[in-house]
Amino acid sequence: LAAPPSPPGQDPQGWRVPVDCVRASELCASEGSCSSRYRTLRQCLAGRDRNTMLANKECQAALEVLQESPLYDCHCKRGMKKELQCLQIYWSIHLGLAEGEEFYEASPYEPITSRLSDIFRLASIFSGMDPATNSKSNHCLDAAKACNLNDNCKRLRSGYISTCSREVSPTEHCVRRKCHKALRQFFDRVPSEFTYRLLFCSCKDQACAERRRQTIVPSCSYEDKEKPNCLDLRNVCRADHLCRSRLADFHANCQASFQSLTSCPGDNYQACLGSYTGLIGECWDGWERAPSSHNPSPNLHLTSSSACGAGFDMTPNYVDASITSITISPWCSCKGSGNLEEECEKFLRDFTENPCLRNAIQAFGNGTDVNLSP
Amino acid sequence: GASFGLYFPRKEYSENVYIDQPAGTPLLRIHALRDSHGESAHFHLCQNLIISRARSHENHWFQIREKMGLLYLSKSLDREDFNMLSVGNWMPLSKVMLYVFLSSHPFQEKECDSATRTTVVLSLINATAPACSSLTARQLCFTEMDLSFHIKENKPPGTFHQLQLPSVHHLCQNLSITYRLLAAEGLPFRYNENTTGVSVTQRLDREERERYELIAKCTVREGFREMEVEVPFLINVLDEDDSPPFLPNGTDTADAVVEFNRKEGTVLATLTVYDADTTPIYPLESSRKKYTGTIITDDPWINETFRVEHIFEEIHFSPNGSQVRGTQHEYKLVLNKSISVTEHRSFQLDVLVNDTEFNGPERSVMLHFNVSILPVSIQFPNTTYRFTVNRNAQRFAQIGKICIENCMKFRGVNITYKLLSPNASCYAVGILQGREDKYGSIYVNDSSVLLRPECKEIQYTVQATDKQSRKHTKTLLTVVLEGTVFKKEEDCPDSCAMSKHLAECEECGGLGVLTGRCQWRQGSGKGITTNYSTCTPSIKTCPDGTCDIVESKDPAICPQDCTNGNIIGGHGKGTGNLGIKSGHGICYCFPRQNCYCEKDDIKEQFCDEVCKTVI
Repeated sequence: LAAPPSPPGQDPQGWRVPVDCVRASELCASEGSCSSRYRTLRQCLAGRDRNTMLANKECQAALEVLQESPLYDCHCKRGMKKELQCLQIYWSIHLGLAEGEEFYEASPYEPITSRLSDIFRLASIFSGMDPATNSKSNHCLDAAKACNLNDNCKRLRSGYISTCSREVSPTEHCVRRKCHKALRQFFDRVPSEFTYRLLFCSCKDQACAERRRQTIVPSCSYEDKEKPNCLDLRNVCRADHLCRSRLADFHANCQASFQSLTSCPGDNYQACLGSYTGLIGECWDGWERAPSSHNPSPNLHLTSSSACGAGFDMTPNYVDASITSITISPWCSCKGSGNLEEECEKFLRDFTENPCLRNAIQAFGNGTDVNLSP
Repeated sequence: GASFGLYFPRKEYSENVYIDQPAGTPLLRIHALRDSHGESAHFHLCQNLIISRARSHENHWFQIREKMGLLYLSKSLDREDFNMLSVGNWMPLSKVMLYVFLSSHPFQEKECDSATRTTVVLSLINATAPACSSLTARQLCFTEMDLSFHIKENKPPGTFHQLQLPSVHHLCQNLSITYRLLAAEGLPFRYNENTTGVSVTQRLDREERERYELIAKCTVREGFREMEVEVPFLINVLDEDDSPPFLPNGTDTADAVVEFNRKEGTVLATLTVYDADTTPIYPLESSRKKYTGTIITDDPWINETFRVEHIFEEIHFSPNGSQVRGTQHEYKLVLNKSISVTEHRSFQLDVLVNDTEFNGPERSVMLHFNVSILPVSIQFPNTTYRFTVNRNAQRFAQIGKICIENCMKFRGVNITYKLLSPNASCYAVGILQGREDKYGSIYVNDSSVLLRPECKEIQYTVQATDKQSRKHTKTLLTVVLEGTVFKKEEDCPDSCAMSKHLAECEECGGLGVLTGRCQWRQGSGKGITTNYSTCTPSIKTCPDGTCDIVESKDPAICPQDCTNGNIIGGHGKGTGNLGIKSGHGICYCFPRQNCYCEKDDIKEQFCDEVCKTVI
């Protein structure tokens, strides 16, 4: 292979170094052929499914050219500055490449490389106690105390709690949209050594487990009058770029695997806990929402363009205050699945009976992480 | 669906592929099931490999035997191929995906768009094929994927799976690997030892049983060593619309009476229809269209006035001891608009329910609603109203309520109350009505009138009017002034809520008081409670948790129900962020400013943000 002067986005070996999609689209825009092909592809995708798109010669040519552009491998970062814009660029390319019927989708996010042990170290500095040694204490209460001693954590926690518990009228318990937004801010802006301790504290009695269950104020952020069907919920989620990305990220990092010791992909607990946290209050109006013309499943019974407006969301939580078993679930059930009951149960089991997720939560609570040989 | 009835009994297949496995290595076997006898299956690969969804690559390595469904390596995958196919894969494991298509006739070239397809996920392992001795029994016997299948009901029998793994069989020929299917006695499934194929032996009926749980047992023998593995083997029976609707207990008639509740959206009656078939709740609209409920009428008035709402949910039947899912459809007769109080009719309204996808004669049932619309009269109870007012009452004191007969039962009827001019110049009281209130509140409008000795008994005429029909009714209201005027205390605040102690509370008056004096409510004093201690113009109306129409006239009347300002101390806010729902100790307020809730006896520190936010 002749070595051309390496353009931005390539490392010296010629391997493409992943760039974020906002940067990739800037790189593409600065190059004539790429930007015109990208425009063509976006037009191809608008309102068409994959097969009709690929039947078109021009569309197929655009796709082939773009395979060589940095847009193809581009990713996004959680909580990055233009996260939604980045995700929109990502899906504008990837929507045409998938049928939207895959059970698991690839995550648009960069992998999490840090490890749980980093968090423990920081956490014990802040709290002045080693969570593993103190067996009598209520870890969830300790986590709340530790949060209240930190200005930022205390402020954002008080913020979401008061938003989520503000009763609007006898029929409307709270403004769910605002509650989700406040929760999202808490989890995005407070370091995970505080947020994880609240969310994944280990419990030996029911009061502690109830406190843990109450962390996200489930009466507002989680429970609803009716439980939608999980596959319906998934369809609505996939119609929204952010929800779809967070769900794909959860699947990528928490999908149980037989090939690892911990049941987690790459034995990475931190990645699983991170994408779990990413699902909480995942739909919020913190960004300007561009109307997406290529939603794969326009759900007729939804009047609002945002998935949250209808009360649908993937926010997971502990289903009860049990101390013997940890069961996590989004607010949905498989009732009314018809012939897709098996698929629905498979989807739900990734939350309720997921050994990776359970091991990750327990490992965090116990202050243990897998020791990886370097 | 598709124009032919062949289908795959699984959605996904998986296998590992290693570097430098020789061409010709069999990978996995795919089966198809038939819709009718005589169909034969043809398998075909789409000539693209999907790599990590973002990329695709032309397939040079994999082929499928068109009639047999055996996927095999047609070309060895070397390290260079592997690297190329791994680009863009972020996960430690590289996966490529293939679609296998199915047809009842031999494939012409390039048919990549058939609706019937299954997915094959191949994990590319960055190593050469392992030695058989290094594989565990689990790896030798089964793939990682669950052994879970779906078979359509009412379809001919056939083979749907092969237990033996072609790749392992090819690689480890000197191992003896045998299978058995456990818990299959008496069930319509058979295992063939020679082919290791599993077949369904008769047509299945989902309404009889929808799930079979068998166990696949595998025995590996290597010399004298013997290893056994058991995994669940699950079969789900897929449903089709093969049951007609039926009525529980034969009930097809219900009474629907319209009387006090005449509001648009009111559910008048509900009838239930059962169906042994399942109905997916999504997409909701299409399921609704499959099961329709139509009002049968020529009368445009009926069509305008009523609608039928259809909701359905999954229920469980137990036909033969095992539970299967069915559907309960509910048809609700709903008012499509508010009905005038003068309307008076009775008739039978028929609703035709149609299971549109059922192909039999009994696809529909007729439901009957006996509708009676009764008129309601707008009139006051027989007696006239007589309220007494203490001459020391102050402005906004609530004297009583005015309400026509059954007024609290009314919905969708808009009654407004009005006071017509009194017989004298003593205009002491007024009437107020909240937006949704069904009654009118009589309150003191001008307390100076109460002091005038010539005003003793004031007569008003009250009129109630129905907004829609303009029907109205009148009655007499007598307001009797009683008691002697006493001198007001000096330096009393205008709001009772400002008093912090029982003594100062009961010494003073304030806006809204009935007898010239505020009233003290002694709370229970335990923690943060709805029964907190406070000073109020009238215990009956304040604090009662609602900021009523009179109280909302002035923030000094009852800030305990109406404040939207800060509340300092342990408390819970009321509905809509208004008022103090619960408080700690004594709650008192400076109208238009803050409220305070605190324990009087011990000078405790206020419960601050930290105290409140520990759940």
